[in-house]
Order: sequence, then C-alpha cells, then structure tokens
Amino acid sequence: MDVKRVAILGVLLVLLIILIVVFFKSGGKEKIKQPPPAPRPELQSQPKESGQTKKIVLLFLSEEDDLLHPEEREIIADSSVVRQASQTIEELIKGSEKGYLSPFPPETKLRQLFITKEGVAYVDFSKELTEKHPSGSSAEILTVYSIVNSLTQNFNSIKKVFILVDGGEKETLGGHIDLTRPFLPQYSLIAD
Amino acid sequence: MKLSAKDYPDFSRAIFTSSFPLSYTLEKSSSFLLVHLETKFRFRIQRDAIESDFIKSFGWIKRNDSYTITIETKHSNFKFDHFVQNNPYQLVIDFRQLEEKKIESQSSLEEAKVTDGKKKETPSQPVVSNPQGRQSPPAAKGIKTIVIDPGHGGLEAGAKGKFGTMEKEITLAISLKLKGIVERNLAFRVVLTRDKDLDVSLENRAALANNNRAGLFISIHTNSSYRKNAQGSETFFLSLNATDEEARKLAYLENSSPEFEGQIEKGSEDEIKMILWDMAQSAYIKQSSQLAEILQKELNLLLGTMNRGIKQAPFKVLTGVACPAVLVEVAFISNPEEEKDLLNEAFQNDVAQAIYRGLVSYIKLYSQ
Repeated sequence: MDVKRVAILGVLLVLLIILIVVFFKSGGKEKIKQPPPAPRPELQSQPKESGQTKKIVLLFLSEEDDLLHPEEREIIADSSVVRQASQTIEELIKGSEKGYLSPFPPETKLRQLFITKEGVAYVDFSKELTEKHPSGSSAEILTVYSIVNSLTQNFNSIKKVFILVDGGEKETLGGHIDLTRPFLPQYSLIAD
Repeated sequence: MKLSAKDYPDFSRAIFTSSFPLSYTLEKSSSFLLVHLETKFRFRIQRDAIESDFIKSFGWIKRNDSYTITIETKHSNFKFDHFVQNNPYQLVIDFRQLEEKKIESQSSLEEAKVTDGKKKETPSQPVVSNPQGRQSPPAAKGIKTIVIDPGHGGLEAGAKGKFGTMEKEITLAISLKLKGIVERNLAFRVVLTRDKDLDVSLENRAALANNNRAGLFISIHTNSSYRKNAQGSETFFLSLNATDEEARKLAYLENSSPEFEGQIEKGSEDEIKMILWDMAQSAYIKQSSQLAEILQKELNLLLGTMNRGIKQAPFKVLTGVACPAVLVEVAFISNPEEEKDLLNEAFQNDVAQAIYRGLVSYIKLYSQ
C-alpha cells in the first residue's frame, strides 16, 4: 500500500515537474518572441547563382551645389522589393564610387526596412544617423531626401518613406527636419 | 456630416466633415451664410463643438435632393473664404470680420489701453496693445504679438562651426538684438521662446506662440552643410509632408484658458498646458511664403551674403504654429568665413535690422 502510494506520488511529482518545466519554457519563449513589427528582411543579401542584377540610381551630394546627384549601381534583382530596397540603402551608405559626398555619418548602419501595403517604406537606421549627424538645415534636408528619393525613384511601390532611428520614431534628424511624419519625394532636389 | 466652429487669432473657421465629397454653393444673407448642398445621399447632420465668438449657430433645411446649412454669425459685416480638403472630406469656411469701427481703430491710445485691460476680446480687434504708449506705424490687422524663436539651446546646441561656435549662441544673440529693434520702433509685444541658454522643446516653442496669440513667428537659425564652401542666407517656410494625412489632423486639441496668458512669461513651460495645434501651420502656408519672400529680400539687400532664396522644408518647429511663420537660416556656421561673420556683433546687428525691415514691409502689406 505504502509502496504503491509512494510510487503514485513519485509519478505525480515527476509529472508535475515536467509540467512546470514545460510551462516555464513555453512561457519564457513567448516573452522572447515579440510581435514582429514587420517581415524582417535579411540584411546580408546572399548572391544567388542565377546572379541577375538590376540597375538602380543612388543619390549623393556634391561639393558644387545643394542638389542630389545620381549615380548608377547594380543590385541583385532576384529578390523581393524589400530586399532590393535594403540593398539600395546599404549601397547608399557605402558611398559614392565617383567621388560624390555621402549624406550619412560613416558609422551609420541599416537596421531594418519594411514596406506597408499602402506603400510606406519604414527605414530603420542605427543611432549614428542622428547622433553623429552634423545637424543644420541644409545637411538634414539632403540626408533625408537622398534616402527618400533614392527609394521612391527606384521602386514604384514605394510612395512615402518614414525614417526610424534605432528602432523607433525620432522627433527630428538634428534639431530641424521633422521625422515624425512620412516623407514624400522632392524631385526638385535632383540635379540633371 | 459633422459641423464645427472654432476661432483662430484673426479669423473664425467653420468645418463640415463629411464621408463623401459635397457639391456646394455659398450664399451670404445678412448675418447668415447659407451653404447649399446638393446630394442624392441622405445624411445625418451632427453639430459638433462651436467654440467661436463669431459663429453663433448652425441650422439646416432639408429639401428633396438638397440641404441648406445655415451658419449664423454675430453680425453681417464679414467676408469669407472657402476651400475643401480630402481624407476625410472637409469643407472649410473662414470668416473674417470687417472693420465696422473705422473710428475706433484710428482712435487714441486711451481707448487702446482700455481694450488692453479686458482679457477677452474678439480676436480680430485691430487695436494694438501697447503699454509704452508708442504708436505703431502700421496697425496690422490682428497682429499684436511677434514671437521670435532663437533656434536650439541648452544641451541641444545645434550645428557647430570649425572654431567651435555653436548655433544656439548665435541664434540667441541675433534674436535678442531683433527683439530690441522691434520694441524700440514698433508697438508690438515681442516674446522670445527663450532668452537664455535653455532647452525648450520644439512643441513648446509652437505652443508658446499659440498661447500668446502670436501674429508672426520667426525662428532664427544658422545653417550647416556637408559642403565645405556652402554659403549664404535663405528663408524657409513649411512644406507639408503627406498632405492628405495632415489635413485630417488639422482639427486641433484645444486646451486654452485665459489663465495661461498670465503664466507664460514666467517661463514655467512645463506647467502650461499646451495648446496643441497639430499642423496648424497648414492654414498659413500662403502668408508664410510671402513673409519668407519679403524677409529674404531684405537679407539679400543688407547682408551681401549669397542669396539662396526661399525654400520649403518640413521643419518640426513650424508645424504647430498657428500664424504666418518662417525659419531664417542666416548664414553657414559650417563655413569658416561665415562663422567669423556670425560671431561679429555688427553682422548680427545687420541681420536683426534686415529681419526687422522685412517685418515692417510684411505688416504694411497686410494692413492695407
């Protein structure tokens, strides 16, 4: 009788421990698993064997004027618009091959990029974008529109661009230009 | 359909918000404005808040395929403008009272003082309040207070020059000089958004202007560029990003009460419940562009800096300001030559003088 009881108790105890472990494990998992804000693109685009490329236009700054200057670049074409847009921003951050000025602090990185059904591209940069930015209206305007125009010009499905910093909304880029609203492109800033 | 009314510093606004576009005609009939709407749809009309001294009530008459909305105003002496915006569809009608009291506006200072003593008065009263008793050359309609905003401040230093000059220092120096010149020559009240090296949020700057019923808002900045040799001065007014969405937000959260007016000058920013006029500036784009043009002309004349013209950009500080508002980029602090200029007292005085002249021309234009 006693042995039986102990055995049953033992089995129950083991079951309880297993239940507790399973419960906490799954509970923990749920805490870690945050609702994904959007499909997170792979930042490192793996070159595929097919190797199809697409020509895009990046917009850089010049020492000569306050306009955005186009420079062609090739990106991998056989991927989603999100991945192509990410590549575009990464190429933009890498800088010009023709000696144009970069509109980014060199330490800036792209954290993530996603596009909503309404055609708003959310581009999330590392905090260096604002922390290391020289500030000043002209500098901020050109940084913003090099991003915005480079995206809207190459991808028809992108109508507006929302700039995020370090995963969240920032009030301004460097004290001037409003980052709390999505930007429409400003084609008048592009040099011919 | 929702009907609402609200007073702004120099006009009163009626807004019809509808879930579909309206085909309308307007007809003035003594102190009423009749809005004839033709529609196949039946709709429910709902009176929303009427927060206006001038617009007294809404009424309506329904016929087969048409409605007539009646807007009753305080008196028949008014003119009106109207425009529509989308998402949601809104018919906006602005009422401006005409001076029925020509005699009063040219009257003596005593009378001006009496009205000054009264807290509440109709927003477009053309009397300039003036404690010093100086006669303002042009008594611009509705403009009593000018708000000058020295860019940046406190921990937020703005752009920096090669010699270490900080944008926040120059903007304050120029703003203080401008305040002095305006007060010596014009009868307007001048309010600075900061008068020392202080952190003031961009929203609070706009709120301060709105709480003080500013007639003009001038934000002073020094520019900075990635280009080493960028130079010159330019004047900005707000560009609306994603206009369709902003129109929807035009209705603002109102939280004003007469007590605020007394508190504001004590600098207790945090205690002031802000009047949040989100995107209020969108109603003033045209006047702001004119103000920018006039100021830029004077800057070019007096400074001899390169003319970079007037431009539009989405400046955070301008979005909530409910009056004509511009942002002046005096010169480039990132250009060592101009940084030296900006540090120079005489140059700072010239800048203040140029902006002052621009203000006078603008006010003259608007008081005609």
